[in-house]
Amino acid sequence: MMLALVGATHRTVPLALRERLAFTAEQAADALARFRDRFPGREGVLLSTCNRVEFYAAGEAEVAAPPVEELLSFLAECRGLEAAALAPVLSREHDEAVVRHLFSVAAGLDSMVLGEPQILSQVKQAWTIAQDNRTAGPLTAGMFQAALRTAKRVATETALGRERVSIPSVAVAEFASSVFERFDDKRILLIGAGKMAAETLRYLRAAGGRDVVIVNRTASRADDLAARLGAKPASFDELERELAAADLVVSTTGSSEPVVSLDLFDRAEAHREGRPLVVLDLAVPRDFDPRVGERPGVWLSCVDDLAEACDANRRSRQRELPRALAIVDEETSRFMGDMHHRSTAPVIEQLRAGWSETGEAELERLFRRLPHLDDRDRDEIRQSFDRYAAKMLHPPLASLRSESHAGPPHGLLDALKRLFNLKD
Amino acid sequence: MAAFLSGISIVCFAASYGVALACEASRLVFRSGVRGAVMVFFAAAGLVAHTLFLGWRAAASGTLPLSSPFDWYLLAAWVLAVAYLWLALANPKTPIGLFLLPVILGLVGAATVASREPFLHDAASLFWGRVHGAFHLVWSVSVVLGAIAGSMWLLQAWRLTVKSSSAGGLRLPSLERLEHVTSRTPAIAAWAATAGFASGLILNAVNHRRGLMETVPWTDPVVMRMGLVVAWLIVASQWAAMARRRPGGGRVMAWLSLASLVVMAGSIAWGLAGTTRHGRPAESPLGVADAEVVR
Repeated sequence: MMLALVGATHRTVPLALRERLAFTAEQAADALARFRDRFPGREGVLLSTCNRVEFYAAGEAEVAAPPVEELLSFLAECRGLEAAALAPVLSREHDEAVVRHLFSVAAGLDSMVLGEPQILSQVKQAWTIAQDNRTAGPLTAGMFQAALRTAKRVATETALGRERVSIPSVAVAEFASSVFERFDDKRILLIGAGKMAAETLRYLRAAGGRDVVIVNRTASRADDLAARLGAKPASFDELERELAAADLVVSTTGSSEPVVSLDLFDRAEAHREGRPLVVLDLAVPRDFDPRVGERPGVWLSCVDDLAEACDANRRSRQRELPRALAIVDEETSRFMGDMHHRSTAPVIEQLRAGWSETGEAELERLFRRLPHLDDRDRDEIRQSFDRYAAKMLHPPLASLRSESHAGPPHGLLDALKRLFNLKD
Repeated sequence: MAAFLSGISIVCFAASYGVALACEASRLVFRSGVRGAVMVFFAAAGLVAHTLFLGWRAAASGTLPLSSPFDWYLLAAWVLAVAYLWLALANPKTPIGLFLLPVILGLVGAATVASREPFLHDAASLFWGRVHGAFHLVWSVSVVLGAIAGSMWLLQAWRLTVKSSSAGGLRLPSLERLEHVTSRTPAIAAWAATAGFASGLILNAVNHRRGLMETVPWTDPVVMRMGLVVAWLIVASQWAAMARRRPGGGRVMAWLSLASLVVMAGSIAWGLAGTTRHGRPAESPLGVADAEVVR
């Protein structure tokens, strides 16, 4: 066994247990240092995110990857948990399944939100921590590089990650951005100071939004959020004035009655000088009277509108899944072929060394018998010998490479060892 | 080289633009990683052939490619093709070609039925003829670009009204960006059309004084339709300027841009169908042969 994986994901392990298993960056570094001491000569990478904790181990030849049960015990020990409690829920994989799983994870195919891109940076970070703690090696290097390549291919060759699926991201990236080209010159008004408001504001900030005012019935919450997100708080009594000044309104209060009635809006509209207004009403029940959306120049979207767009995007991502899985399969086969071929390296090296040794001995004898040859003639003859050896070795080496794609070429390796009298 | 250049025909670049349009239309059906490159390649190939065609005609006749209605349509199509290629490279995800390429192909098609007879000029009328043709080119291109931006605005607004996600479909520019175009093109078109009309009057006077061309009367269909176009464009530009500061002004400007295109298309159709003295050489006392001598 060259590769092993023990892990807990959002699919199989409840959040409470995942939380206990999760590693911070420091804890991961500490665990990898312990892994190095416990399993010398093996490679290890620990991936810990809010949705998964996975330990990838690798080893070659006589220093094979640790058995998965030992890996499981090690993981439990690192987090101070009972291995017996983890054993029924943690998944275990070997060799090709490990590669396929990592490639799927890196491409976001195993994520809670299909195709989400954040996991890729988390995979990169896990690899960096392993490098820093000297548990990374040639096998995991090849595997993680191939995982990044796979993720890039899935991102560019399919539309999996193109459509957004969270309500705030769709609200900003698809609806608000369809009206406004830029946000750095727009006045943004947040009505309410809840989590949804904060998340939407983060997307608006990423899109360039600078001038943000927060209005909330409880002034202290508006003050807190404004201080946290670098916005300006305003009194709830100033809502009409702020509405008149705003270009984009995000409303997320928990009010049971509309916060912006048609009358209030019409009073504000009189001072707007015809500027278009985007309203993202993310509250349930709605904060804006729906008739506001019928006013010219007002683009009003409520949660249901956005949820429909999110669902459409999710369905669109699902349609791309078979293409993404085909890429993962293709890259897995390619990587496994390379890995199997890599295991033939010692035999190939012996074969080449044997031919080279015999050739050198023959050349020495020839040059002794033909002392009149100058250096140029000798080089020509030596190059001919080398070419001859390379041509003779090409067919068996090509057969080895092609056989490696189907699995470890044990039969061919044995035959070569016997035919050319190679030692293990 | 001359044989090669003279072998380039309208079909060469029209076919290239046609393939680019087919690539743009395929956005509606499937995704592809290489489509953008294929599209730009065919559009660029078409533009190169188009440029060589116009250049060859100009070199062969020794005049600018504004010397006949045929050349004028092709030059207008060329300006739009340059705009298309630039916009396609700057905004690869926006299906601008779906809106622009049909107009380009339409102008190329109009060129095939337009007269290839060159207008007759002497040194003075040559200058005013070029000014007249250039202003006509500016207002026509402005109207076409405005109408394309306007139709995109209406499509984007419809999407927002029905709360349709852009996922899997066409990614259109923002309303703000489109309004930037629709708010400016009516004024540019109005100024250029007025200047084109005025330069046409001067050209007419110069030609009449020298007896090169027939005097074009105020009742000539070309003069009448151009007068109506100028009047409409002035009204449209003022209307757009007022609408800009009112709620829902974006929609008004979009419709005005489309209406301007309809007016322009009607004017072209009228011009192609009607009989006119516009651009005709004088029959007496100075005939065609004499006029050519003057040139």
